[in-house]
Amino acid sequence: MAVKEKRNIRKEIHNKLDDNVMQGALAKFTSEYPMARLKAYANVDSIDDLRDDLRTMKRWAVDHIDALADEFQHSVEERGGKVFRAADGDEVKKILLQICEENGVQRIVKSKSMATEEIKLNGALENAGLHVRETDLGEWMLSVAGQKPSHMVMPAIHLNKEQCAGFFEQELHEEVPSDISYMIHTARRVLREEFLHADLGITGANFGIAENGAIGLVTNEGNARLVTTTPKIHVVLIGYEKLIPKVKDAAKILRLLPRNGTCQRMTSYMTMVSGPTPIIYKKDGKWVEENRKQYVILLDNGRLAAAKDPKMKQVYQCVRCASCLNVCPIWRMVGGHVYGHIYSGGIGAILTGLLGNMEAFSKFSDLCIGCRQCTTICPGEIPIPDLIDELRARYVKKYGLSMPEKTAFQHILTHRKVFHSLLRIGSVAQKPVQSGKFIRHLPLFFSGMTDGRSLPAIAAKPLRDRTEDLCKHNPKNPVMTAAFFSGCNMDFVFPDTGESVVKVLQDLNIAVTYPQEQTCCGKPVLGMGDRDTGKVIAKQNIEALEATGADVIISACPTCAETLERTYKELFKDDVQWRARAEAVAGKVREFTSFVAEQYKAQGRTLPQAERGSRITYHDSCHMRRGLGVWQQPRELIKMTGADFVEMKDSDRCCGMAGAFGVKYSEISKPILHDKLENIGNTKADTVAVACPACMMQIGGGLNQQNPSVRVKHVADILAECIAER
Amino acid sequence: MEKVCADWPAKAFDEQLVSGKYWDEFAENTKAAATELIHAGTWQEAEQLLQGLVKDMEAKEILAVGGEENPRLGMMYQHLQSNGRTVYTDKFDIAEHAPQADLGISTAEFGVGESGSVCVDTASYESRVTGMLPPTHIVFLQADHMVKNIDTAFRVIAKVYKKGYMGFITGPSRTADIERVLSLGVHGPGRFIVIAVDEPAQRRA
Repeated sequence: MAVKEKRNIRKEIHNKLDDNVMQGALAKFTSEYPMARLKAYANVDSIDDLRDDLRTMKRWAVDHIDALADEFQHSVEERGGKVFRAADGDEVKKILLQICEENGVQRIVKSKSMATEEIKLNGALENAGLHVRETDLGEWMLSVAGQKPSHMVMPAIHLNKEQCAGFFEQELHEEVPSDISYMIHTARRVLREEFLHADLGITGANFGIAENGAIGLVTNEGNARLVTTTPKIHVVLIGYEKLIPKVKDAAKILRLLPRNGTCQRMTSYMTMVSGPTPIIYKKDGKWVEENRKQYVILLDNGRLAAAKDPKMKQVYQCVRCASCLNVCPIWRMVGGHVYGHIYSGGIGAILTGLLGNMEAFSKFSDLCIGCRQCTTICPGEIPIPDLIDELRARYVKKYGLSMPEKTAFQHILTHRKVFHSLLRIGSVAQKPVQSGKFIRHLPLFFSGMTDGRSLPAIAAKPLRDRTEDLCKHNPKNPVMTAAFFSGCNMDFVFPDTGESVVKVLQDLNIAVTYPQEQTCCGKPVLGMGDRDTGKVIAKQNIEALEATGADVIISACPTCAETLERTYKELFKDDVQWRARAEAVAGKVREFTSFVAEQYKAQGRTLPQAERGSRITYHDSCHMRRGLGVWQQPRELIKMTGADFVEMKDSDRCCGMAGAFGVKYSEISKPILHDKLENIGNTKADTVAVACPACMMQIGGGLNQQNPSVRVKHVADILAECIAER
Repeated sequence: MEKVCADWPAKAFDEQLVSGKYWDEFAENTKAAATELIHAGTWQEAEQLLQGLVKDMEAKEILAVGGEENPRLGMMYQHLQSNGRTVYTDKFDIAEHAPQADLGISTAEFGVGESGSVCVDTASYESRVTGMLPPTHIVFLQADHMVKNIDTAFRVIAKVYKKGYMGFITGPSRTADIERVLSLGVHGPGRFIVIAVDEPAQRRA
């Protein structure tokens, strides 16, 4: 059911950035969440073992989804329940209205179900004249306010108590003070009446067990327990992805879901209902006991197609804990509503796309910056950024890129000489706004980009024009040869750092070559989903690197390293010949700091303690730490220089650059940078070391305007200085 | 009273899994979840503690289930009946008076060390409303009926859970939906009290 939405995401983002209530709430929550989560796991031997167990079980489930659904249906029906299978939301509504009509239903209570939000059920029921009430406190307040949940677990996190009191007043037509305890007790009184007088209860399900037809519900308020107890009819709306094989498998979800979702070892209530259960009520003036009616609706709405998709089936590993949001730097800035109003955050983008709304997906999919923070905690171990990349690539393949992007990528980036000429022209054109190595102010409508952050200037002489001289210093009897893949940033913005890389390698008795035919690694285009252009660029680089015949390929940019090492292989997975060539190149690629640390160890090298007296902190690049798994080695190298190493708070949190994101969404990028600068400032370090030129650009630009006493240096620069000291 | 399993210890408990050695962890975690945990050596002691609690909370109307299975509990419920206080134990009476009752008393099958949860077999309607509608819920539990974690809890449950309504309770009803401030007693009980008894229950055959 594709819904065409006309939205202005930019405007929505600006509104959210200006929403001080939401900004305050999200900042507080996201800073407290990581420790609270770990505390909940303190009595568990290995979180990763639990995650592996869950993933294995859920992978089995998706691979057997048809058989599981049949077994689940049989189990429910054997116990006296009725099962429907609904292809989409329209079918669910038809089935439900039929149930209501057959049973003379007038009043309905609901317990939080994202699936009903997904298909916009409430409106359809109300249009049919039914009285429908959400019973989760947050959901109830939002339904009164005409808003949607902004988080799967904390639906009203974007509001404060004054706003909540306003919604209470609006609904109850009485004065309600903004006193939380008063509001809770008012909600209890009002909703109690709803529970007691409802004819039918609707719930979602956290899981459905094929073995015995039970559904599981996890709540803290207990509303799901009441919705499944007081009304005479129970309707369950459950997506196929919630099905699990056995009763004992529920434990695999329950040991992770509450801890990750709400930082609790268990929620107040975990309820399982298998088949119709007894109800006692007054019938014709007499108390009677009979079994309630149970209807289960299995919802497809794109889920079954996803289950058959080798890559996208990984969304079945999601248990809807929403912890991917809680650690997402972008969600923390823009909140949940911007993502499409149903499922928010990274997983939300994927679900929105898979559940039939690729148009909405395409609008906000670039709000994932690929920092991979979510992948470190997702209970189901879902590679969320990879799935977003995949969906984006499919979208671009089907609908194409927008015109300016198309021009930039397909007509400029694929022609190395044109691209590089433009960069050279840029180095001249920027002169009027340049101040030293930075562009401090841009005129007119570009000014937002340099507000609070300087942009680096394009160097007068790129690295590629300096390497001929540099390579003259190659050792006579080298232990090995290295091809240096610099990446655009080091080539045209930070060529001095490129020189440092060459010096450090030469000092290790390694001969360096710089293939002139190398071009952009392709990450910017691949990130936008344009894999066809990405392949053209990848082939140019593979050929250029092969031609060197070098023993290793060194990159001092983690994004380039990751792209050469991992992405090229995947790009050519269906092309036998190019895949073999990509694999051969990938086998030689080494990230600079980890390679150097390894060589120093192997050669028993020490460094002159040139940095003694200086205080250095280190910022982890997302691609380096979580993409390549390299984080200890740069720290070891810094300590070798004799510097006083000091760890900063949240050293592995994104600096906000994230490739083109930092420029396209500069309004989101800057507050993220601001937090990073604050953490750097608190260390009292005189130098912040990085191992990624993009982070160097972002942090350096911020320091240039906001804290110029602190310098940013690539680890290569710090090492090169030590060598110069010899 | 309808249950998922009429006799959990006989049908579901496995000595390898169910043991009093998980008590300390249970006690720690259940208190962390805001459960009021009371430990009694004998049923006699438990009765005195219950009488004290009921007196303090000035409960007038009480719903009580589980007395048929456990004669000691059944006697306790009788003893609670006194001037001006009514204890409902019949399922239809419970259904009728549940919305106004001050206190619900029921039983749990076992506790879970890792989470501080109690497993409740609430296949009957009366046991569910007893635990959900009154502002306070008291649960009786045998202190050595403990499992290590949620995983072992489900290994026990899997042996008998074929049909019906059951789950865990871990502390009182709570919400943090307004400004993430923790508030108790939103829809269910605001007080959740577990009375754990060392002395084995004498079950009716």
